[in-house]
Amino acid sequence: MSKKYCEKFKIPKHLEVPMGAVIPAPVKENRNMITGNWRTERPVIDHEACTLCLNCFLFCPDACWHLDEKEERMVWNADFCKGCLICVNECPADCLTPVNELEFKGGVVRLEKPF
Amino acid sequence: MADVYQITIWARGVVQDMEGRHMSLIMANSADKDGKFVQAWDDYADLPDRVGVPLRKYVRISDEEIEMRYEYENKEPNMVVLMDDTIVKGMNILWGMKKGGVLVVNSKRSPDEILKFVPNKELLKKVICVDAEHAFSMEGLDFMGSEGGVEAAAVGAGISAVIAGAAVHGTDNLTLDSLVAVAANKEGAKEGYEKAVVKDL
Repeated sequence: MSKKYCEKFKIPKHLEVPMGAVIPAPVKENRNMITGNWRTERPVIDHEACTLCLNCFLFCPDACWHLDEKEERMVWNADFCKGCLICVNECPADCLTPVNELEFKGGVVRLEKPF
Repeated sequence: MADVYQITIWARGVVQDMEGRHMSLIMANSADKDGKFVQAWDDYADLPDRVGVPLRKYVRISDEEIEMRYEYENKEPNMVVLMDDTIVKGMNILWGMKKGGVLVVNSKRSPDEILKFVPNKELLKKVICVDAEHAFSMEGLDFMGSEGGVEAAAVGAGISAVIAGAAVHGTDNLTLDSLVAVAANKEGAKEGYEKAVVKDL
């Protein structure tokens, strides 16, 4: 609500926001919709071969790849990656390889029930 | 009411939907052949139309008539079957199990490797591993008829017969003879019974 409307309709001050405001998302990851347990194989990155072309970031349907600008390397999100392996298919440098999930101790998403 | 032997089958959505359903069907049909009272069904609560999602199929076997009305899931499974071994990382698979249960896993790994990922393994008395993917090729199988109407392929033609053959080691309610009579993949059922790796805990 803009200031003008707030005064006109007597809307409380804490709801006052400039017109067309951009608000940062309060939640970036929905912990109630974890999809990591759909995965049978995970993409493993070879950081030496990676050229930071960001193709994996572009093609990932769940936004599980992002660039760590300080370290200058791609970071993978284990909780939400469904193991579709589109990133492995699209990587032009061939630095991603699919590896079976039971090879790793981490990445455990143990839900009580499927949601 | 007599004790009802409850089996919960975990499979991957879409890709193993048909195999999981065939698994529950041949288990129930073979127990039915032995003169027991059975129920087998898969519900839609797990939304199985998403590729790779863990979903459940159920079997109940009893010596007397089963009177568990309006309960569409096995609250206290005696046996849990995993059609895919990576489900142990994603789910609390032994949910609701009482002490003395059986775990059957389709895996090329050993039972000890699987048990590393089971935090509540004190509930188990037996773990059975069988390598069904290598025992039977998936080539030539179709995914038609996965909606449960008319089965396009014969029931139990794929890896389900192999895993069901391994599951015979875990319970007295299933027998290999009636399983071989029911399943379409008869050699697979025998092979699963012979090649199963059984570990008593």
